[in-house]
Amino acid sequence: MIELPPVVLQVILNFSIGLIVTVSLNIEVGFLGLPQFGRLLAVLTGALVAAAVPGRILAAYLGLPWGAEYAYHLYNFGIVAKINEVLLQAPALSLGVLLFTLVLAALVGGLVGYLCAYPALRLREAYLGITLLAFGDLLMTIAWNYDPLVGGTTGIWVVDPFRFVGAGGARFTFATLFMLLVAATVYAYAELLARSPFGRTLKAVRDAEVAASVYGKDVVRVRTQTLMVGGAMAAVAGALWAFFTGSMKAATYTRLTWTFWPWAFMMLGGIGSNLGVLLGVFLYTVTRTAIIIYKGALSAVIPIDPEWLEYIMIGLIIVAVVLFRPQGIIPERPVLALPRSRIEAVREKLGEEGERGAGSD
Amino acid sequence: MIRLIDLLVKAIAYSSCIGIGAASITLIYNATRTFNFAHASLVAWGMYVVFALTYLAGHTPYHHLLPAALFCGLIGGAIYLTVNRRLLKAKAKDITLMMSTLGVDLILFGFLNVFSDYLLRFHRLPAKYFILETRDTVLNIGPLSIRLVGVVAPAILVAVVILLHSFLTKTKLGISMRAAIENPELLSLSGANPELTYAIAWLIGGALAGLSGALLTLVVSGYTAAGMTMIATFFAGAIVGGLYSIYGALLGGLLVGLGEYLGVSFIASLAGGWVYAYRPALPLLVMAVTLLIQPAGLAALWGARR
Repeated sequence: MIELPPVVLQVILNFSIGLIVTVSLNIEVGFLGLPQFGRLLAVLTGALVAAAVPGRILAAYLGLPWGAEYAYHLYNFGIVAKINEVLLQAPALSLGVLLFTLVLAALVGGLVGYLCAYPALRLREAYLGITLLAFGDLLMTIAWNYDPLVGGTTGIWVVDPFRFVGAGGARFTFATLFMLLVAATVYAYAELLARSPFGRTLKAVRDAEVAASVYGKDVVRVRTQTLMVGGAMAAVAGALWAFFTGSMKAATYTRLTWTFWPWAFMMLGGIGSNLGVLLGVFLYTVTRTAIIIYKGALSAVIPIDPEWLEYIMIGLIIVAVVLFRPQGIIPERPVLALPRSRIEAVREKLGEEGERGAGSD
Repeated sequence: MIRLIDLLVKAIAYSSCIGIGAASITLIYNATRTFNFAHASLVAWGMYVVFALTYLAGHTPYHHLLPAALFCGLIGGAIYLTVNRRLLKAKAKDITLMMSTLGVDLILFGFLNVFSDYLLRFHRLPAKYFILETRDTVLNIGPLSIRLVGVVAPAILVAVVILLHSFLTKTKLGISMRAAIENPELLSLSGANPELTYAIAWLIGGALAGLSGALLTLVVSGYTAAGMTMIATFFAGAIVGGLYSIYGALLGGLLVGLGEYLGVSFIASLAGGWVYAYRPALPLLVMAVTLLIQPAGLAALWGARR
């Protein structure tokens, strides 16, 4: 297997996860204009699925405790260690667990999106944003305190479907490349969506809801479907992150990391523009990694803990983008439904017909 | 009995603080359409100003309420001048205004942590996590001993109501502020300057946020993320109040605070102590339910429309 330096891997990993979450946010915020301030909700849902479900199924299969005691931290460590030993020997099973969990996370995330449609159809702007934000925090509070689910404040270990390729660097590389693959798929899907009739419907609803409904577009259905798609994507990111970190503690899933940061990436790159989102996530990931690497050198120059520097930096980026470049680095452009060559061909054909028409007169 | 009174006093003090903070959110939202996320860090800055002054300059925390309010009021004014004014001029959307305050919040939060590190490193103060409750004065009324904050916080809440009411109805500036909220273009046609009223709204809003944080040091423990933890409760207070009425916000904050404190204790007495862990969920739930059932909030009860 190719050995990449850990720094590069870290950048790719953070970039991939950030891209999935931000693309999902962009579909809801950029394409449809929903104030999605509760991205955390779907991400956390995905992480909870990954932490609670595959481990329990495997434990039941192996005859280990899988009920509420599975999440009890004194048992959990031993149970997960045994499951991981089995997974280590069985690549097919590992991949199966991985894919099954991602599909399940997407389904549950979609369901969460469906449930969010209830407030999303009744509330507007700031009210909706705050409600969705409250939902995310509510789920976090429940997961953090309800022990039988994922161990509450002690947290639990998550089964490791990446481990079969080897320990340490090999696992890291495999996990990173896998996430990059998922991120690329999600990105390609978002790009296709933007070019599809559905994508154009979203933007029509965003720009002129009344007009869209007059032309027969079912606005309620469009909103519900978008929330489901976005929720499913974000849940996949959450599940991947839980698998990669190998442990689950609900309190580490904050609205800052999983809602506000993706918002910042999206605003930096350009709301509504997929390529912009990609660039925004990339720029931010590289900068952040650079800050971490040059931590020592930085604190010698600026007497500020780099952790706080990061907050100040993200805050400044958001404020600067909002003030000076509200459309982002790569602004949203009308997406061409067909490749340019096809459009040119059609245009020429129409032109010929027009000339012929003019000649026959 | 004594435990019950302690609980009641604390609940009243806490909910008064939430009421004052909710009024700040409502005031700024009404004047400038801006849902202020920076409220979280303004509250936390209020806490830290009181903490630093109490340790460095002595006296009781009560002596430093005013400097804290003043300091946060100035931050509020600065937010208006640097960010909010430009966006209002450009007729930015509500969501953009909201996002801009989120950026400001992160900046303020970063600097607050720098300040906290500074206090820790150069003054050796316990700035990561502090409790000023123990410095509160205890009043002995007959057989009862009540903490002073249980009297001061509601008194300040009442004072804020009276002052804001007389400002908005009796002074020329206050009246033009209400006009600016109702119809800014008409106001500027009549020769008044809506920008001044926006600036004043941010000043007062910042000061109220700081005051609420300053008082909260006597009720809850302080840490830099305290504002972020409590922000949902403040939002809940403002939204339960209806978001269009400052009195509604004061009342809504009071109700949400009391509900959070007493409601959890009540449910815990029925269902057991495990309920306490879910305390942060209560105001969120109240807010979500209010929004879905009665979005106009408490203000609808007395027919206040925007």
